[in-house]
Parts: sequence; structure tokens; C-alpha cells
Amino acid sequence: MTSIGTGYDLSNSVFSPDGRNFQVEYAVKAVENGATSIGIKCNDGVVFAVEKLITSKLMVPNKNIKIQTIDRHIGCVYSGLIPDGRHLVNRGREESSSFKKLYGKPIPIPALADRLGQYVQAHTLYNSVRPFGITAIFGGVDEDGSHLYMLEPSGSYWGYKGAATGKGRQTAKAELEKLIDRNPDGFSAREALKHAAKVIYMAHEDNKEKDFELEISWCSTSETNGLHKFVQDDLLNEAIEYAKHETSAAGDSDSDSDSDNDSDNDNSNETHDKEGDIKLE
Amino acid sequence: MFRNNYDGDTVTFSPTGRLFQLEYAIEAIKQGSVTVGLRSKNYACVVALKRNADELSSYQKKIIKCDDHMGLSLAGLAPDARVLSNFLRQQCNYSKLVFNRDLSVEKAGFLLSDKAQKNTQSYGGRPYGVGLLVVGYDKTGPHLLEFQPSGNVMELYGTAIGARSQGSKTYLERVLDEFKELEDEDPESIIKVGVQAIQQSLKDEVLNTDNLSIGIVGKDLPFTVYDGERVAKYL
Amino acid sequence: MNHDPFSWGRPSDETYGKYNTSIAEASPYPSMNTQQPIVTGTSVIAMKYNNGVIIAADNLGAYGSLLRFTDIERLIPVGQNTVVGISGDISDMQHIEELLDELEIENNYDNSSADSNECLQPSYVFEYLANVMYNRRSKMDPLWNALIVAGLEDDGKPFLRYVNLLGVTYSSPTLATGFGAHLAVPLLRRVIDHDSDVEKTTLETAEKTILESLKVLYYRDARSSRKFSLAILDKDQGLIMKKNLEVENMSWEFARDIRGYGTQKV
Repeated sequence: MTSIGTGYDLSNSVFSPDGRNFQVEYAVKAVENGATSIGIKCNDGVVFAVEKLITSKLMVPNKNIKIQTIDRHIGCVYSGLIPDGRHLVNRGREESSSFKKLYGKPIPIPALADRLGQYVQAHTLYNSVRPFGITAIFGGVDEDGSHLYMLEPSGSYWGYKGAATGKGRQTAKAELEKLIDRNPDGFSAREALKHAAKVIYMAHEDNKEKDFELEISWCSTSETNGLHKFVQDDLLNEAIEYAKHETSAAGDSDSDSDSDNDSDNDNSNETHDKEGDIKLE
Repeated sequence: MFRNNYDGDTVTFSPTGRLFQLEYAIEAIKQGSVTVGLRSKNYACVVALKRNADELSSYQKKIIKCDDHMGLSLAGLAPDARVLSNFLRQQCNYSKLVFNRDLSVEKAGFLLSDKAQKNTQSYGGRPYGVGLLVVGYDKTGPHLLEFQPSGNVMELYGTAIGARSQGSKTYLERVLDEFKELEDEDPESIIKVGVQAIQQSLKDEVLNTDNLSIGIVGKDLPFTVYDGERVAKYL
Repeated sequence: MNHDPFSWGRPSDETYGKYNTSIAEASPYPSMNTQQPIVTGTSVIAMKYNNGVIIAADNLGAYGSLLRFTDIERLIPVGQNTVVGISGDISDMQHIEELLDELEIENNYDNSSADSNECLQPSYVFEYLANVMYNRRSKMDPLWNALIVAGLEDDGKPFLRYVNLLGVTYSSPTLATGFGAHLAVPLLRRVIDHDSDVEKTTLETAEKTILESLKVLYYRDARSSRKFSLAILDKDQGLIMKKNLEVENMSWEFARDIRGYGTQKV
């Protein structure tokens, strides 16, 4: 982080001499410390899953829900600053509602991705606002089938077969890649559900000392009639059992997957403290 | 000495992705006197320690009613809490007027969250400098929420915010199983646990009828604030 | 005084000469919004019974006296336990449908009990619609409709209430809009005259009464159609929507005795 102290990283919308927008990069750091979220695209829908860390036993179990609904047919999950995620979802709902008022049909998911992308990008343009401190994974089913997108603080977004963000994203991505390689013809929403649970459990392995809850939702033509819904308890428990079983088995045999190649915390040659505070002599 | 370059405003991320102004706002909660919140199967209650500026002044109000089924207690900047409680009162009224519906506690929490978030993403303002414990009783029973200036809202069985609140929290964690599933038919027992909890956060203060304030809501019990002589029996 | 409302608040022509409307490009008339419905749906009728509530409306959209559209659905389900029946202007009805769709979507946002304790109640839907209707009429831009909201509250009580383009609301164990208020209500009240009669009325009786009333309406209302929809909200069976029903067992025998219309010589 050679940028620190140069002054180019203090304000949003400012380029450094080598053409970077540091405030956006720092917003990405807020995401990288957040709880792991994933999305999986299956043949007729999408599945979202998120790790909910239990910070205190005073918290009420199964409340404090994280996954949100943007429209009947679109779900969204995010890692990073949770209130920023709510802001984005509120915007998504406005876009979705205004689309329906104007065109008389539900918003196609690529159109929503485009509009949300523009909105997030606009927050990198002005020094009077800060970028979104989240990476959002959203998608669902529309007239053209299922869609899954991941949107970053810069405003750029891509379509995915499997997307992961947050603290455990390296492990999660590795698992998703393996999963998708193994299933070239895709899989059903039911199968994706189990895999999603497993991926979150695997991604949590590095953070084992902390308790967590698993939250899963889906949107598919076969399971939810094209609506975004939370997974009912019996299926959720089944998925959790599968994930627990798979994770303990994997712990014994293949602990190969993730060796964190492009590790994010490049701590070498840091001359300042971890917050980037500068020592004044 | 370290000088932090990244804490001047709410629109600057630090290199590790933190927002210092927000963290400082959360610190402001600790400047306020302690307040405790907890809930059982049928009731939700807040207990607060009031402070006075000096011997001759009155005590600062800590508990605010928002509707018949909802109220809150605060720690931190009281004027900010008044802004937020007025907002909640408006939202409760709106819900009743337009939909003939009591605002759910869950939704109240999200409304607060979204309002607070706005102050954290644009230049020129500051985040709210207050923490709130929102209690209410709706169609899904009693609820307790903790609100923070960042816009984070959590639903809890019990918690405490404000000066030395850790003591109360530790106490609540210890007795959690005794109150969280309690099928109480009157609010007395939950209030007693609340008062016990707040005792764990006192240093020089002694609870009396002047400085103790209690807010209670639950089944067949509209939100009520007990002050003065009405708290005597809990001392 | 000039009693024409168009002249109220204006300088009188006798004193000042005719008002020159080209000044400030003023219109010769006051600004006007909807003055009449265009394509219309006729009566909605509804009644309570001992285990719920029934509501019915035909499928016609009439353009003046022309029976223009014959497949208009005027019973709109909202959530799991509410049906809104709408008569009056069809395009305004379609606007209300959009409002109700949005209401339903927004109720599901961030609502972890949207399928249980915090689902939409008929009373919420009604209060919202009554506010919409009253606000619009207060803007002098009414939605030209009369609505009946029928449903089951979560305490198991049947709900039935009326609101119209004026924002007027009322409740009764039997309700009807439009022509039905004149023709159907007396028939419905033969079965349920007081609140206390609801308990004595079975679903079977209620359904029969509604069908009889629809038949009378089809006989006598020239803007009605034979085809209709009927919704039952039953405490045990939930929402039952019956579509494409037709008025049966009619006898037009009496028609030959009618004099004064058509081409027949008296």
C-alpha cells in the first residue's frame, strides 16, 4: 500500500498518478472482512447462501435475516457493510417498481443488474459520497431463464455460474469451481441447495472458533414457482446435515483446495500500522 | 503520536476498509449512562439509569414511548434520539392511519437502519451519535432490538448499552436461560431481572426513585414508563 | 347572482364584459379531471356466512350500452385471505390492481412473518384502499369505482366493507355496489337482515342466495353478462376462486308480456 501518505487516497473520485481510485479499493477491503456470501446458478434457478456469525449468545437464533428480496423473482445477498447492502436493495426495489409501472412486466434481471451497476458506479464519481462498502450477489428467474450476478463497489458486475464474496471467498470459489467442473450439465435447485450449504461450511473452516448460522434462499421454476423464497426448514436441515457430513469428511482427506494464492492482505513492506495511520516524527 | 488521516469525515474509507467517523459515533454511546433491555415470552422491558447535570437540575429522560405497542431507551446524544423517536412515532402513526396496522418491531428496526445509513454515505452530515434499545410487542410477540449509528440493528434476548454496560451484558448472558423462555403472566419478574442487570453497571451511583426509569410493554400491556415513586418497589 | 358554478369566483360579465380567456392562455373552463367512467363493470355483490364470506361479480366491461369486453376479471385476490371486488371504470380498476400488486410485494419485503402473523389482513387492504379513494376524490380526481373488500381476518372473523369514489365507507353483513345495491341487497337481506343472522347462514344457503341475486341482476341490469366469477373465503377451506360460471335456470317467459319496448305492436 504505497499509496498511503501520498494524499491520493483520502477522497473519493480522485485518481492517483498511476490511475487508481483508492477509495474504491478501500471499500473492497470492507467487503473482504465481511461474512461469506455465495450464489449458485442451477438449471432452472439460483440459490443464495450466507454465513451468519453469532457474535453473542444473547442474539435471537434465526432472526437478523440477511438475504433480501428485490422483487418477487429476484433475491440478493451481500458481504460488507450491511446497512449499505440495504441501501442498494432499496434502490433495486425502486428500479424494479418503476420498471413495472412503465412497462407493465417484471424487470428482466440483466436490466436490473445494469441499473444497479450504474447506481453503484455513480458513488465512485463524486467526493460528496463514498462508494458502497459491499459486494452484492443477486439474481433469480425471469422470462429468459435464470441469472446470477455479482456487483462490486466499483460498479462493475459480471454474470456468474457460481459467485462468492466476503472473508471465505477463496475457499468458496475453489469449491464452486470444483463443483461446476464436476457437473458440466448443471444441476437442479435441490442439488444446488446442498452444495451451497457445503460451500459455506467449507468456507467457515478457517474461522472455526466462531459459531455461525446458515441462511439459504432460492428462486427456481421447479421449487418456488419462480419466486424468491427462503428454504423451508426440513430442506434446510437436510442441507446442513449434508454440509456437516461433507465438511468433516473433507477435513480428513482433501485439504488441498485453497492455498490463498492471491492473498489480499499483502502485509509485506508495510511501514505504517495496519490502519494506515502515519507516524509523525 | 499517531495522527489518523482517515477519520475526518464519514465518506472516507481507511486502507483497511473501516469508517472511523462511524466507529467514533459508536463510541459516543458509551458517553451516555447505561440502559438495559431484555425480553421474555410475553414482555419486553428497558431499564435505564438517568443522569442529572447538577444537583439542582432535573434528570435527563431516557425512555421514550413511540406508540401503544412500542418504545425505546437511549444512550448517547439525547437530541439525536429525539429525532429518531419522532421519526418512529411518525412511522407508527402512518402505519395506523393508512393501513390500520401496528408497525411491526422488525419493520421499525429496518426503518431506523435505513434512516441512519443515509447519514453515513454522504458528505456534510454526521452519523447519529446515539444507541437505542427498541422494545415492542406485535403480532409475533415481544421483541428487543439494539440500534447503532452505523445502521446495524440486531434482535436480541437481552443487551445493554452505555457507560460500563458490559457488566449488565455479562449478567444477562449468565441468567439468559432463566428469563428468555419465561412464560410470565405479569411483568414483575422481567423488570426485576432488568434492575438486577443494571446494578452490575453502576460504579458510584446508587439506584433511587430519581435516577431509575423503567419501560415495559407486553401482552395486554401497552408501553408504559415507570418513573419516580412507581419504581420504588424495584429498588 | 350567476348560479353557474363555472362562473364562481370570476368577475361578472355584466360589470366587466366577457372574460378574455386568451389572457394568460386560460382555459374557458375550470380544469377538469375524470367526469364519467368510460368502460364500466357493473355490480359486485357479497355476503357473510357462518364460516366466512362470499363475493361475486360478472365478467363484462361495457362501453356505454355496448357489451364491449366479455372476459374482465373484477375479483382481485390480495394475499392469502382477501378478495377485492371492483365495479365502475375498468381502467381505474386496472390502476387499483397495480396498487394492490405493489402493496403485496412491499408487504413481503424484509418481513420474516409475511406468510404467518404479519401477512396482509383484509382490514389493512381496505384501510389502504379507502385512503387512496378519499385522497383522489379530495384532489378532485377520483378513481371512478365502488369497491367491496371481502376477507377473513386472522382472528377468524369475516371482513366485509365498502368504499366508493367519494371515499364513503360502510360495512354490513350483505353488501352490493351499483345496481346491485338496489336489486340484490333486498334479496340478500331476506337471508341476512341482522348481524345475528350470519351465524344461522351456511355456505350452501349463502352461495344459493348470491346465485339467485346474480340471476335477478342479469335479468334486469342491461349492462350485465351471464358469465361471472365467484370467490369464497372459508375459514377451513381458505380461498376458493370459481371462474367462468354462468347464470343458470333462467326463464324468459315473462319477456313476452313486456310492452312498450322494441318493435311489437301493443
